[in-house]
Amino acid sequence: MAGALARVIQGTKSHLGLVGPLVNISNVPVRCQQTQAPPTKSQYGPLADSDRIFTNLYGRHDWRLKGALSRGDWYLTKDILLKGTDWIVNELKTSGLRGRGGAGFPTGMKWSFMNKPSDGRPKYLVVNADEGEPGTCKDREIMRHDPHKLVEGCLIAGRAMGACAAYIYIRGEFYNEASNLQVAIAEAYQAGLIGKNACGSGYDFDVFVHRGAGAYICGEETALIESIEGKQGKPRLKPPFPADVGLFGCPTTVNNVETIAVAPTICRRGGKWFASFGRPRNSGTKLFNISGHVNTPCTVEEEMSIPLKELIERHAGGVTGGWDNLLAIIPGGSSTPLIPKDVCTTAIMDFDGLVAAQTSLGTAAIIVMDKSTDIVKAIARLIMFYKHESCGQCTPCREGVSWMNKIIYRFVEGNASPKEIDMLWEISKQIEGHTICALGDGAAWPVQGLIRHFRPELERRMQEYAAANGPSKAERLY
Amino acid sequence: MTTRQAIQVGTKTVKPLLSLNSVEARKRVLNLYKAWYRQVPHIVKDYDIPKSEEQCREKLKELFLKNKDVTDIRVVDMLVIKGQMELKETVKLWKQKGHIMSYFKPTEEPKPKDFLSKFFSGNE
Amino acid sequence: MLRQPLTRAIALSSPSRVAPLGARRYADAVPAQPEKVEVFIDDKPVYVPPGTTVLQAAAQVGVEIPRFCYHERLAVAGNCRMCLVEVEKSPKPVAACAMPVMKGMRVKTDSDLTKKAREGVMEFLLVNHPLDCPICDQGGECDLQDQSMAFGSDKSRFTDIHFSGKRAVEDKDVGPLIKTIMTRCIHCTRCIRFASEVAGVDDFGTTGRGSDMQVGTYVEKMFLSELSGNIIDLCPVGALTSKPYSFAARPWETRRIDSVDVLDPLGSNIVVTTRTNEVLRILPRTNEEINEEWLSDKSRFACDGLKRQRLVTPMLADSRGNLTPVEWEDAIVAAARAIQDCPPDKLLAVAGDLADAESLVALKDLVNRLGSENVYTERDFPLEGSGTDLRSSYLLNTKIANVEDADFVLLIGTNVRFEAPLLNARIRKAFIHKETDVAVIGPKIDLTYDYLHVGDSASVVKDLATGSSSHEVLKRLDAAKRPIVILGADQLKTQEGSALLAYTQELALRLQDKLQDKNWKVLNVLQRSAGAVAALDLGYRPGVATALAAQPRVVFLLGADGGVVTREQLPKDAFVIYQGHHGDVGASIADVVFAGAAYTEKRATYVNAEGRAQQTLPAVSPPGRARDDWKIIRALSEVVGERLPYNNLDEVRDRLGQISPALVSYGEVQDNNYFAQARALSKSLQKPVSGTLDVQLKQLEDFFMTDPISRASPTMAKCVQAVIKQKSSVY
Repeated sequence: MAGALARVIQGTKSHLGLVGPLVNISNVPVRCQQTQAPPTKSQYGPLADSDRIFTNLYGRHDWRLKGALSRGDWYLTKDILLKGTDWIVNELKTSGLRGRGGAGFPTGMKWSFMNKPSDGRPKYLVVNADEGEPGTCKDREIMRHDPHKLVEGCLIAGRAMGACAAYIYIRGEFYNEASNLQVAIAEAYQAGLIGKNACGSGYDFDVFVHRGAGAYICGEETALIESIEGKQGKPRLKPPFPADVGLFGCPTTVNNVETIAVAPTICRRGGKWFASFGRPRNSGTKLFNISGHVNTPCTVEEEMSIPLKELIERHAGGVTGGWDNLLAIIPGGSSTPLIPKDVCTTAIMDFDGLVAAQTSLGTAAIIVMDKSTDIVKAIARLIMFYKHESCGQCTPCREGVSWMNKIIYRFVEGNASPKEIDMLWEISKQIEGHTICALGDGAAWPVQGLIRHFRPELERRMQEYAAANGPSKAERLY
Repeated sequence: MTTRQAIQVGTKTVKPLLSLNSVEARKRVLNLYKAWYRQVPHIVKDYDIPKSEEQCREKLKELFLKNKDVTDIRVVDMLVIKGQMELKETVKLWKQKGHIMSYFKPTEEPKPKDFLSKFFSGNE
Repeated sequence: MLRQPLTRAIALSSPSRVAPLGARRYADAVPAQPEKVEVFIDDKPVYVPPGTTVLQAAAQVGVEIPRFCYHERLAVAGNCRMCLVEVEKSPKPVAACAMPVMKGMRVKTDSDLTKKAREGVMEFLLVNHPLDCPICDQGGECDLQDQSMAFGSDKSRFTDIHFSGKRAVEDKDVGPLIKTIMTRCIHCTRCIRFASEVAGVDDFGTTGRGSDMQVGTYVEKMFLSELSGNIIDLCPVGALTSKPYSFAARPWETRRIDSVDVLDPLGSNIVVTTRTNEVLRILPRTNEEINEEWLSDKSRFACDGLKRQRLVTPMLADSRGNLTPVEWEDAIVAAARAIQDCPPDKLLAVAGDLADAESLVALKDLVNRLGSENVYTERDFPLEGSGTDLRSSYLLNTKIANVEDADFVLLIGTNVRFEAPLLNARIRKAFIHKETDVAVIGPKIDLTYDYLHVGDSASVVKDLATGSSSHEVLKRLDAAKRPIVILGADQLKTQEGSALLAYTQELALRLQDKLQDKNWKVLNVLQRSAGAVAALDLGYRPGVATALAAQPRVVFLLGADGGVVTREQLPKDAFVIYQGHHGDVGASIADVVFAGAAYTEKRATYVNAEGRAQQTLPAVSPPGRARDDWKIIRALSEVVGERLPYNNLDEVRDRLGQISPALVSYGEVQDNNYFAQARALSKSLQKPVSGTLDVQLKQLEDFFMTDPISRASPTMAKCVQAVIKQKSSVY
């Protein structure tokens, strides 16, 4: 979930805290730290098996330490640690890895913010494993089948930012995942891989698991920090950003599980290797979750920038009833705007490709809806989810989302006035960007996507309702 | 303030209100008195006051004589103007009976002046 | 623990949040003031220190940004989103209350984007706010009303009112002072922040999520605080209103008179709201040096005691000893006769807690003219050593506002929380925001913050003073840069009082001599009543025990309701004159009663515990035939034949000024000196002490009724009942 919430911050989150200037998105020249010429690839995907990072994604092998070692985890970790902070951060900058939680902030840059001169406070790494976004199921696969990748990633990321401990905030419902992760951590401690003098590198590093209680909002980084501190999971105001004042008042970096878990492999195989996948600025491999009306729903690691259609047809067995039966796709988890079939045909699955399609990569959780779907009801159900998960702290989200929920459920049956479609659009705009955290935006975007692409459907329902029941009360009142 | 200005202020001539000299002022007073005098029967009738014409004339004389020592022409003029206003209000019946009768109000008891009597009378 | 994270987070994020109220004298001076940054508010340049929020910067150029949740004395919540403003080069509007300024920032407070954002937030706030303004007590002074007029939309598009309606929330019962109508709540969380930060009660919070979020005590519980009434003022809507004042009046019907509170020794500034010669409610008035903008519950809610149990007419005991109403002449003549017949040394005047300086000086002058020196206060104070000759021995020398800057507070035998709630709020503020530590000598009490309990024996003070204590607190005191010692005046009425004061002086001055900051005062004595300091300033002698032993024949009680003078102690034929405003303890033993005016009914001078003279103004006229107090004495003096030489208030005040200019320099407080002399004089008094220190007000229920006005107040009685009931509750 993390990502969906953090997504909008993308533009403004400078992570420089108080001293940082307000960065204008349009003014940031290049997000990419690659120095070499962009690869001249034109074909993206399929990914070769030898290039997969998550080699036990489906749990067919042993997930414990022994199996992990056999898959190459913890291999020469000490050497990586000893190469030092700058090397790791540079390697990540070279790799062009962007946050996998949804906001897509360059990870190397994010980590480098932590390397300001110390003022005596400890630093923390927080791993966001509160994967609550509907449609997203990538982190749980990592934690349950490849937990050592995450633990090793914590150590390397922690080293890169000089953190003394990592807190993995895991979603409360993930019982088995938390349990596997805990076992993995215990194994790592016993093997001396983490803890005092981790991997024999002379570096002390602890990893703690903190189980959440099942609130979606706790996937927002500051709410997550509050929750770890034992308070109500309500997002904090930014600035100060967590890199300045985070967990227990200390500098903190919050990263998604997938971001952390790919870090060791990047360090071992080199940033250039990672950067060779995908289009420039969207490099790397990525876990895609394909759910909904497809023949074989799955989570799969694929190269970035793979066309959406190819991804679905190659790995998910195609849309039920064929591509022509497709109605719409939500390409990045429930909080991204949906795109209709014609856009899907050409959509490229990476950050820039989906922005061009007026949506967002988010967590790359693809929800496929075929023509049997009641699209209005589907979006209404999502809004109901956001209404239920709004923390209630700030006004636009608390009042606006529940109002949107009321309106859109009337839209489902058509008991509304066509003029209210514009009103709903405006309400969603009044929420978007006006809230403390990004949940408000996440709730506003699905509605905006619906209105953008399915306005005729909404109007049709209203006409139908009026024909059957006479004009709606809203029509007479508004 | 400079000395020149101070002199200017001190020697500023007073602007007359109506009359230029005391003779003229006296004439105005007498005219007003006459006008009131002639109005008395009408007042008694119109306002239906329990006073005779004689009593009214007596009161009129008393009220005029109350200001007999006024010598400042401007003050005399101002009193005349006020008297004319009163007269007009009376003639036009803008007043009510009570207003006319208030000319005959008995002398008020003087308010207590010293602390203790003020305290006991509840005024302090 | 509120303290740690808050301190850290605030200290790191924006230093100006802690002390937003201008530079104060003892504020830690940063060696090099950080360079000011230039920002533009609506293209007007303004230079502010870094860390200032946009909202504060805007206020400096006179641009008021609308807000609901932001309050300058509370932590920033930033959740109402009303203060959103457009900042150039930022894609989203930013919350002005939380956003620190940055160099060259250009803020637009009336651009289209800003206006649209405000209108949107306003619309959302009204979605679930009931339209019950006509029956809402906040009507006319409601932030939501005012701001929806100014910034809201002109028409509603909330069609869903006809489909699903608005949210309704069950009301909470938080005690007899605060009425809750939770449906009106806009979730600004000001009350929660006040409760946890200022009042030190963590009972308030939010439960539920999203539109089901509710503000309240988690379980049904009374808001057990002596500062609870302030959340009524803080609430921007009508969710929290005053229970005693409910449905009483509209703000535009009332008259507001600035005055001063007398129910605790701090002299909090208040506004008395009246209509048709009736005190309806009392609100705090901002005074940074005393009460900031808070007010204790007793000061705020005891005003209904001004209408009950009042003495409305002079009274005289008839042949059977019953007090019967008489004319002023009769009462004064009867009193004058008794005074004339009495030899001067058998005449005794006793001043009570609520006596104002004017009546005190008049009474003292009268008694002196009659040839007697027997003017006493009810409250005791040691006369040995410098006694009350040096002002520094009986005042809060540090001054209330400076308490915030202390780094170590030692409380000796005082429960500041109930004796002077707002002083306690200051200490708590220092405790939370400035890492100030507190130690207490006396009984273990709940002060709303953690403290080091040093013991409850007087000998602890002695050990600290002589430096023979091995307790950690001695080291802490010695190490402190700005320590303060507060001694409760109640401790001084015992036999050991003088020794205790001597030791406290010794301790405080020993610390003071070592300080780098030569202006810092360590010694403080916290008086218990509003009238005490003026009486001591005027030369009243503390404590009546010796005077009573001399068997006085005529006793003049000036509002002496403390029960110190009783009939049993007086000779059978003693004649007791009582002057005061309530039929309380003093009136019950009187032969003649003069009906005086309460503090809301007269223009009178009160000197607060730090020695600051302030005046009350008449908000209503005294009831019935009651009169201004000094005038009664002035009239009596004339009948007695020793006419006092003043006829009006100005003349009385001239007389006050003759005695001490400090009594008439209103609003100002002078620095006290002669500490060393007082210390030298008290050296001989340092005798062994063995007693234990106890305080009178231990629990919240003790706090509410301490003087004639609050004893007559039904609201205060209800509070006591409610607190006792709450104590028996499982929560």
